[in-house]
Amino acid sequence: MTFESVFEFFFKYRPVVFEKGRLAFAAPWSLTVVAVIGALVAAIAVITYARSRTEKRRDRIVLSTLRIAAMALLLFCLARPILLVPTVIPQRNFLGILVDDSRSMQIADQDGQQRGEFVRHAFGSPDSTLRAELAERFMLRFFSFSSTTQRIDSLAQLQGTGSETDVAQALDAARRELAAVPLSGLIVLTDGADNSESSLTETLISLKASSVPVYTVGLGKERFDRDIQLSRVETPRNVLQGSSLVVDLVIEQTGYRRQNVEVSVEDEGRIIATQQVRLPDDGEAATVRVPFKADETGPRRVRFYVEPQEGEQVTANNELEALIVVEDRSERILYFEGEPRFEVKFLRRAVEDDENLHLVTLQRTAENKFLRLGVEGAEELAGGFPRTRDELFAYRGLILGSVEASFFTHDQLQMIEEFVSQRGGGLLVLGSRRSLGRGGYQDTPLADVLPVVMPPTRSDAVEGFYAELQIESTRSGLTHPATQIAGDMESSAQRWTELPAVSAVNPIYSVKPGAVTLLTGSAAELDEPIVVLSYQRYGRGKAIAFPIQDSWLWQMHADMPLDDMTHETYWRQMLRWLVSYVPDPVSATASRDRVGQNQSVVITAEVQDETFLSVNNAEVTAEVIAPSGARADVPMEWAVDADGEYRVGFVPDEMGLHEIRVTASKNGEYLGEYSTFVESADLATEYFDAEMRVTLLQQIAEETGGRFYTPENVATLPEDVSFTESGTTVVEERDLWNMPIVFFVLLILVGVEWGYRRRRGLV
Amino acid sequence: MAAIPYRSLMLAAITLLVLGVSAAGSARLMGQGESERYRQRRSQGERPDPMAEDPPRGREFYFTRAAYTGYGRRGFDSWAVDYPKADRQFLIGLRRLTNIEAYEMENPIYLDDPDLRRYPFLYMLEVGYMQLTTAEVIGLREYLLAGGFLFIDDFWGTWEWMNFESEMLRVLPDHRIVDLSLDHGLLSVFYEIDGLVQVPNVGQGVRGGPTWESDGYNPALRGILDDKGRLMVVINWNTDLGDAWEWAENPFYPLKFSNYAYQIGINTIVYAMSH
Repeated sequence: MTFESVFEFFFKYRPVVFEKGRLAFAAPWSLTVVAVIGALVAAIAVITYARSRTEKRRDRIVLSTLRIAAMALLLFCLARPILLVPTVIPQRNFLGILVDDSRSMQIADQDGQQRGEFVRHAFGSPDSTLRAELAERFMLRFFSFSSTTQRIDSLAQLQGTGSETDVAQALDAARRELAAVPLSGLIVLTDGADNSESSLTETLISLKASSVPVYTVGLGKERFDRDIQLSRVETPRNVLQGSSLVVDLVIEQTGYRRQNVEVSVEDEGRIIATQQVRLPDDGEAATVRVPFKADETGPRRVRFYVEPQEGEQVTANNELEALIVVEDRSERILYFEGEPRFEVKFLRRAVEDDENLHLVTLQRTAENKFLRLGVEGAEELAGGFPRTRDELFAYRGLILGSVEASFFTHDQLQMIEEFVSQRGGGLLVLGSRRSLGRGGYQDTPLADVLPVVMPPTRSDAVEGFYAELQIESTRSGLTHPATQIAGDMESSAQRWTELPAVSAVNPIYSVKPGAVTLLTGSAAELDEPIVVLSYQRYGRGKAIAFPIQDSWLWQMHADMPLDDMTHETYWRQMLRWLVSYVPDPVSATASRDRVGQNQSVVITAEVQDETFLSVNNAEVTAEVIAPSGARADVPMEWAVDADGEYRVGFVPDEMGLHEIRVTASKNGEYLGEYSTFVESADLATEYFDAEMRVTLLQQIAEETGGRFYTPENVATLPEDVSFTESGTTVVEERDLWNMPIVFFVLLILVGVEWGYRRRRGLV
Repeated sequence: MAAIPYRSLMLAAITLLVLGVSAAGSARLMGQGESERYRQRRSQGERPDPMAEDPPRGREFYFTRAAYTGYGRRGFDSWAVDYPKADRQFLIGLRRLTNIEAYEMENPIYLDDPDLRRYPFLYMLEVGYMQLTTAEVIGLREYLLAGGFLFIDDFWGTWEWMNFESEMLRVLPDHRIVDLSLDHGLLSVFYEIDGLVQVPNVGQGVRGGPTWESDGYNPALRGILDDKGRLMVVINWNTDLGDAWEWAENPFYPLKFSNYAYQIGINTIVYAMSH
């Protein structure tokens, strides 16, 4: 027995009638006459009781109050109270019925039946109960919606194959379609699992303004009994071939609390990594970091999945795909070393087999005497450290070894700052007696760039500092791609602690706010660990500090087996990280890397010249190369709100991988080109977050003056919809004097008075 | 009375003598006596040079000298020829002419000392008579394969070469010694060196006599490359750079020899620290 049925028993009508209606009195005489009669009757009662000598004062008050209340109730009835309820005139108004036709309606969580089954049952034929009741009062118009909305004549046209649920768009479309007719409201039959990017706010405001109530019927379960969902994966868009990646994967579940499952990573059908995961508590999300390696070049569809578990409600949400472009190119990094150091030899050796890293070394061997290694021509670095932006900005990464700040001119230091902040390059500063604080970098432009806090002045404690450090990875370092030196995260963390001690001569104890420390080092003579590897984003680029002077010991030390690759692995990953996400002068990104059919994608290009100054008014073209090989040139427009930024939107018209090759030039001068990729695919987004969303459906109903229903209470819908001021309506009068509650109260008042008298012996 | 079998006695005595001499010889050739001596020293915690100070940690470069088993021609431990004056004097030049942050003093170390792997540059001379123990062979092999760099100096003539070559075959059985041509990067990495110079020992240099010893008439620059073609051993044969460093301040020792010795020494170190 629900609240509504109890209410209806006592008050004759359902609460909605009282909500919609307005109280009035329909007595043939005026209310003043009734009030006067009431006052007279009350006065007589009071006077009668007041004159009675036999009763005590308290009895007189109680009895006269009870009598007056009973009289008042009778007078209320005599005044003939009514409810004025606006009601539609039968068959003069229209009702729009919007039926969700997306795939999530196929989920069978409605008492073992598909969500769509309820719609077929309640509205499928003209004889269906709900439909028949509505049809008695309204002209019904049916719509099906998913990513778009169509008018349908019969529910047999529903297919349940839409790849998106866009409620806002559906409401707008139905209201537009029915704008010319008296519209009493809209009924939306959906699970509410809206996965579009549309905003509901404006839709709701306009519905409210035009007084169109929306009645939402929520289908499906608010929470699945048993389900595992990979909710989100965050992967880099572009990586160098052979790079180690650690991607964040968000897993949610219900019904499999704290069970272990295996997450697999598949690159075009080949399993490249697996990871055991302990599932979180019900309803909680757990972030899992999965490391793997990008070996194959080109745009790769990488699939992450958990095998379907026994009894799972929805299995399509157990997998996610991401598009990662694995690039096979040689990234140029300049390593400037201020003195001959073994770090140079071993660092160069560590990366010499890595075809994707090209280390150019400039080493000062004596005052004003430089050794160049790995240069591409006689001209490269012939004048020593670069003096112009285009010379320095040609590199994607810069390593500074044991070189003091005073070696550089102020312009060069400023240029290094801009290399990071404007060019977006990676800067790595190594530890040595001439770097960081000991190199006098405190008051230079690099002090801001570096992630570490340098001692404010040179002092004996700083100058004489020497510590042999046992390395340990921090919590951030545990999962960072640059610090993965063994098969998995736990063994990497363990491996760091086992490596031979290396030494530092730069006492760095703290990092800037916003900087992240990945490795620390401790020694018996130190009160607290010192920073060994730390980084921060700075402008468009990043700055890394590695204040260690002899990482070559990880290669040479007697405790390291000859075939151990830790040193090589560390430096390769470090340098790949250094140049990761470093932009080209011309670059492009797609708003989404995977889109469903007919979904649009926006391409944004950033155009700069070789000194990385933004170029406006360039001729920028996006050539879209479809999977069939069909090519189409789309001119890109300068987005006036951002320097050097150009945008264009397009809808892929084929399924599969599209290459978008952006080419930029200005006044006939070629500036550069860049390729990005978009995959048009049959996305399974409908199965993600597919549980019925009560809050959304309640919000739509409440803000528009409608109501939210579930299949359990939807039977009252036809009557509720009738009480509307929208459309062509009349005002119905509904008597209230004969509400059962009136008689019950009257009986109670009289009964209590009688009982009181008996008890007090006044009968 | 039976006749004494003089012939048999003579034969037995000769046989014993031959056996004894050959045993002693082979023991010496195998370095077993030396090995035992070093083992004893080492087990007593003795360092190659008990007088040398322990080097401080954390410096960038140490002129590290290999202390190995072998008799020198001059009757003392061959590893210590010119030691420590040559080392110190070369370091003075190295520190002045380059900005290598070098430890100022000598740093001798046994080849089988694990600490050897803390010093990626190693100097070794008088290798014509070296007779490495198995532990030293393994120590040197692993040092080189891990990335260490060996600089060989001061041995002369065919006989010493053969001994050195056979010892190096024990250290690196899969690697062959190759000639380094004059256009090798080693000769231009710091100083531009046009040609090889035979550097005589101090006696001959001061007297102005012939520059060669034994049958080592022509100086040679050779090397051993690792599997990736990177230089790991530089061999200066038929030349005595150590004496030129040691006696560079001697006004009677010709400048051209010490000049060359410093140049090739510095080039080798700069090369070893960058390649």
